[in-house]
Amino acid sequence: MIAVLGAGNWGTTLADLIASNGHAVRLWTRQPEQREEINARHTNEGAVPGLRIAEGVTATSELGEAVRGAELVVVVIPSQGFREVSSALGDVLAPEQVVLHATKGLERESNVRMTEILSQETCARQIGVISGPNIAAEIARKKPAGTVVASRFPHVVELGRRALSCPRMMVFAGDDVTGVELSSAFKNVVAIAAGIATEMDVGENARSLLVTRGLAEITRLAVTMGAAPLTLAGLAGIGDLMVTCASPLSRNHRVGVALAKGERLPEILSKLGMVAEGVHAAVAARDLARRHHVEAPLLDAVYRVLYEGLSCEQGLAELMTLPAGRDVARFQSTL
Amino acid sequence: MIARKVERILADASVDGGRGLGAVINETLYHERRRLQGAPDDERSRADGAFHARVRRDLPHATPARQRALVREIVARYVGEITGHFDPRVYRFATRVLPYALSGLMQRFSPSALLGELRGASQLDEHLLLEGEVKGLQGVAALGTVILAPTHSSNLDSLLIGYAIYRMKLPPFLYGAGLNLSNPSPASSCTTSGRTRSTAARPTPLPRDPRKEYATVALEGGATTSSSLAGTRSRSGEIESRVKLGGAWAPGSRVPPQPACGRERRAGLPVVPCTISRTRWCWRRRLAGRAQLPPGDRQVPLRRGRRRVPPGAALVDFLRGIAGLDLRVHVRIGRALDPFGDDVDVGRATSPDPRGRPLDPQRYLLRDGAVIEDPARDAEYTRALGRRLVEAWRRDSVALPTSVLAFALLDVLRRDLAQPDLYRLLRAIGADTPVDTARVEAAVDGLVAELQALERAGRIQLGDGLRTTDGRDVVARGLRGLGAYHATPVVERRGAQLVVLDADLLFFYRNRLEGYGLLGAPRLCPAAGPR
Repeated sequence: MIAVLGAGNWGTTLADLIASNGHAVRLWTRQPEQREEINARHTNEGAVPGLRIAEGVTATSELGEAVRGAELVVVVIPSQGFREVSSALGDVLAPEQVVLHATKGLERESNVRMTEILSQETCARQIGVISGPNIAAEIARKKPAGTVVASRFPHVVELGRRALSCPRMMVFAGDDVTGVELSSAFKNVVAIAAGIATEMDVGENARSLLVTRGLAEITRLAVTMGAAPLTLAGLAGIGDLMVTCASPLSRNHRVGVALAKGERLPEILSKLGMVAEGVHAAVAARDLARRHHVEAPLLDAVYRVLYEGLSCEQGLAELMTLPAGRDVARFQSTL
Repeated sequence: MIARKVERILADASVDGGRGLGAVINETLYHERRRLQGAPDDERSRADGAFHARVRRDLPHATPARQRALVREIVARYVGEITGHFDPRVYRFATRVLPYALSGLMQRFSPSALLGELRGASQLDEHLLLEGEVKGLQGVAALGTVILAPTHSSNLDSLLIGYAIYRMKLPPFLYGAGLNLSNPSPASSCTTSGRTRSTAARPTPLPRDPRKEYATVALEGGATTSSSLAGTRSRSGEIESRVKLGGAWAPGSRVPPQPACGRERRAGLPVVPCTISRTRWCWRRRLAGRAQLPPGDRQVPLRRGRRRVPPGAALVDFLRGIAGLDLRVHVRIGRALDPFGDDVDVGRATSPDPRGRPLDPQRYLLRDGAVIEDPARDAEYTRALGRRLVEAWRRDSVALPTSVLAFALLDVLRRDLAQPDLYRLLRAIGADTPVDTARVEAAVDGLVAELQALERAGRIQLGDGLRTTDGRDVVARGLRGLGAYHATPVVERRGAQLVVLDADLLFFYRNRLEGYGLLGAPRLCPAAGPR
């Protein structure tokens, strides 16, 4: 039995995918109406319109009932609620249980990663992360995709692959949890920049320049924080960045488009109706770049556009007049 | 204990790929012959050669029963080499005499001064500062087996830790160290119950790392140990970010088979981090090249270097090292951890989860309700423990003026010389490189401010004077430390300038502050900007 915590669009989609692979799934949701809808009609229209959820999914609002006896627990909770749910999870989780999360983002203010929260709030040690270019709406429509399951524990990766792998989902293994989590959090900031560039109609050359320099910045920052550089070149890095920056379905991309139209942030978030992790990740990226003394002008510009009233045109002009250094960073241990 | 180990290894050897004992013994002899080809021509090597020649003669005619007997002989020989030999008489002598002797040595190395100390002048207690969770260590030691994991840089550490253990009124510990722990002084006057010696230089298949096996058996038997885990400090002086923990996990991996023994079992086998911080360090010129190797290549067995040391020089070397100790040594005890890296609640004798909920650590080894052997999982648990130990070592290390001066000075030079890598930087510094003292004092001021912020965040400890004094005073104290002990002063003052005389040693001292994110810190180099 596999537990999926969180019945948003990605949690519901994952629960459906796992159940389609023949596993019994308990899907935890706080909302009784959502629970009733899933159990009675096998739909979750509010989260994933049009999806017929697989029969193997049973919804529950009791966390203990969802988790107890589960071989694998998949946590799919937005980053701002992750600690609260993890804390509750800690009351019911057993040391031998395996936990994967599929949340892209860092905790606000503390800037810690989701696996760090799980380690701080629960007894779980066998922990991992699911990440990649995974737009929930496409996967819910049964389109082919690929993802990464990363953990320092091979058994965790194996369980993740067993749960998710099928002809429409390729699951790659990784062991760089830090790299996967950081790249999936920071790429959302670059996606906002890409959205801005799209709306400003700066051309494909400039968009490519922006996305590539963004990748260089998030790689520098992630590596400084302990990631392996090549992780950023993988599916959870550049793969996720490509889809987020190119797809109009991406929430963060939509935030960027709206900013370039001159809309204000509260208005944009209100219209979006869902969490855009890049809005918070921009704060985290700026703070972390400063803390680790990493040069990240693009990430900084996005922060200033979001929170300090910098106009998109002014931000772009600033970036274009920066002195250009090396294209590819050298990562070496030196003074 | 030895018999138990022999049985365990014999059982492993008999199922080794189905090759049979004859093939396993042959392979052992082959590796031993290769090892002895590069070994010094001393008594031990000659005895080993004679022993193996006899086994080689016997083997072709050996019946299965005789093969088992030969395995027992070989294993017993290895076990005998690594086991500790506790002599209560030596222990009593050492605990009475050593404090006076060390006390004198820590001030100045002169026979008359030593005699003065032995007549009852000052005590080692004045110089050895026991700090941190001493009561916590005493508490877990009262429950049963404890593994003390000190940072380790030199043979002196065995003496210091031995005496610290005695002063904390703990029972004698088993002390694990490499084969290089052969200097007469620590070997004969060790205040611990005995020492195990690494046989890592013996890549033979038969004993399969007997030190780990021995540690496991010893811990199952209830011994307390102090294990200087390989690589706690690299040759370049910094705390390694990745620690070799084979010796630590060996006992940890045996948690489930331990007899259920109430309180001790619930707390697992506590591992207690410990740091040793002092102003001056003995340092070997011949290791300078290795000090600059990239991480991972730094774990060069010291013994390899030792073979080039003439007989007798080791003792002189050792005494020189003792003389290099400054007046104060900080031995700081950290919080006890269980083998999975969780804090141990000493009062309740349990190992709760991070939020204090009670749990049974043995359940970390379960799968489908049964304890499952999973080397990859266990290795990761061990790495988690290693990460917690590294955090603790960094948190509990005491920053001292010598390291602060070295870090700030090298940082000024790094910015001035703008070399692309460390090797070229050290070469560019060379000898007799001058720097304006005022610039270094300003950098020290900035660095001390960063260190004070780190201390407030609980990430490091500050030593004498670093909380209150200014850069000028720290530089003066640092110069006293860096100029007095080494054959060539590391740095000396010439008028308004500081002159670097030994860049390698400066790097070595500077590395005591590596791993704290100080490189490029705004207060250290405000004009430098981000990387």
